[in-house]
Amino acid sequence: MVDAVFLALSVLTIGSAIVALEIRSLIYGSIALMITLSGIAGFFLLLDAPFVAMFQLSVYVGSIAVLILFTVMLVRRELIFNKIEDKRRRYAGIGLMLVLMLGIGMIIIGSGMKSMETNSSSVDYKKIGEDFLTYYSPALIVMALVLAASVVGALTLARREDMTNDQRTD
Amino acid sequence: MSTIAPQFRLSRFIGSLFDIIFWVLLIFSLAGLPLVFIILFYIKLPVINGQLLTPYLALTWMADPSETIPIIKALIHTTFFHVVAFPGFGFAALIAAATIFVERKFLAKIQLRVGPLYCGKIEGILQLMGDGLKLISKEIIIPAKADKPIFWIGPLLFVGTAGALVSLIPVAPGGWVVANPNVGLLAVFATIGFFPIISVLTAWAANNKWTFIGGLRALHQMIAFEIPLILSLLSIVILTGTLNLSQIVESQQHYWWIVFAPISAIVFFICILAELERIPFDLPEAESEIVAGWLTEFSGMMYGLIQLGTYLKLYAFAGLFTVLFLGGWNGPMVWPPFPADIITHGITIGPITAQIAGLPLFDQNMLNGTLWFVIKTVGVILLILLPRGVFPRIRIDMLLHTGWYKLIGLAFINIFIALGLLYAGVLGPGGLIQ
Repeated sequence: MVDAVFLALSVLTIGSAIVALEIRSLIYGSIALMITLSGIAGFFLLLDAPFVAMFQLSVYVGSIAVLILFTVMLVRRELIFNKIEDKRRRYAGIGLMLVLMLGIGMIIIGSGMKSMETNSSSVDYKKIGEDFLTYYSPALIVMALVLAASVVGALTLARREDMTNDQRTD
Repeated sequence: MSTIAPQFRLSRFIGSLFDIIFWVLLIFSLAGLPLVFIILFYIKLPVINGQLLTPYLALTWMADPSETIPIIKALIHTTFFHVVAFPGFGFAALIAAATIFVERKFLAKIQLRVGPLYCGKIEGILQLMGDGLKLISKEIIIPAKADKPIFWIGPLLFVGTAGALVSLIPVAPGGWVVANPNVGLLAVFATIGFFPIISVLTAWAANNKWTFIGGLRALHQMIAFEIPLILSLLSIVILTGTLNLSQIVESQQHYWWIVFAPISAIVFFICILAELERIPFDLPEAESEIVAGWLTEFSGMMYGLIQLGTYLKLYAFAGLFTVLFLGGWNGPMVWPPFPADIITHGITIGPITAQIAGLPLFDQNMLNGTLWFVIKTVGVILLILLPRGVFPRIRIDMLLHTGWYKLIGLAFINIFIALGLLYAGVLGPGGLIQ
């Protein structure tokens, strides 16, 4: 059962990732990207990590994919994409991907992950929270600072001093 | 009176009915029955009360209630029943359909109108059925330059996502919920995130200016109100220490969380109004400005599906409010206990006494819990409907200002209150009030 689900999810995820890259219509490409991200959430569910899966769905599908969709719909295609049709680039990209996957695969196989116990019960999300606040707290602080900096940056970029709103009465 | 079908003859009509019956019987006996047998050969039949559930004995069971009741009891605890009928789709759709009718009457009473009146003689009670028949029989029109796949699948996805939201709401104690994940509240957030995508995609696919403006408004509004919605629920998570919705309900046995998180409740309620696109936040379908917003191009049953999805969503959010702030199924026991003499002596009708084994189909706790849940949810639904009769629509800049500035700030206030209560040792695990 799990194997069949895993295979189906893999086909769905990889297939829609290829569609997202190759299809002409940008809207369909972004929909395919959403399906890819949802498929990754499905992998997390198979790995007994529903906490991560739900965050994958709400953050990636619910926010980032919406952002991409928004950009694609509102901005003219010629303004953001400069299309270069080149066979060699495509093959180079595929080659680069293979090299990367081989490298990462070697690292993962060499890292002793094979000896991992697969029958252990899933990690509670409370444990993740505790770890974040104790052992990994420096990482959490750095992450918070990065996010705060990006929020401040976005606010600074979006701020318009020169604009006055004539219609507002309040 | 104009004639719809001038060539109509009653005799031919009746003859055609008999024709249809004849062909249905013929095809069923020649092709349908063998197919049923082939399917029965492959599926694994359950064993109930030590007896195989073979369909060949169906008529025997129907005649004997003591055989039927164990089967019904086994059926109502299956996942299929949960999904299709009771805490799932059927129950929610019933409440949603009732809401559509009650909304019209309720608003009419508020505004001193009469509302639906003619259909069904008594206060227009059959209006909803008439509307449904109209929607089903209406032609589905697809705009010529629409993006057909997305346009077709949009309403289905909308209903599906609303159904997913409904499936997370616990209705009664004892596992009466379709899906009960440990991260239930996160699943709610993840499901809510799909609605803006669906509305903006269908709006784009219809290839119409009104729909596109409506879709963009829906996207803006839902994204803006999603953040205060999530933040307002964090205080509940802090106080209960769990994300499981059933456990959140169980933690409210003695007091409701609205007592300790009133600001969260208010913020959550306003966010519900915005997520549901209801007045005063109904800019995505502002009918006096942009026809019907992102629903403009839908016709017939596609519009019906969107309507069903909207009201399922309404029920789901009202249920969520009940579960999180109003104590869910908790309430004093008002449901009468099942009469004991029926269990011991059976039902006596004249000279006949029927002994029926295993009669209380549902236990008293479950029925009482369902009653309280429905009462509270209907109350919240009426509160959600109320602003439509009272308030005008607000401007989009006011809406975004409310969402991004005021509500986020308010939501944070209650998070700090919750943290204070937790660290002072008043509430939470090991607190003074348990």
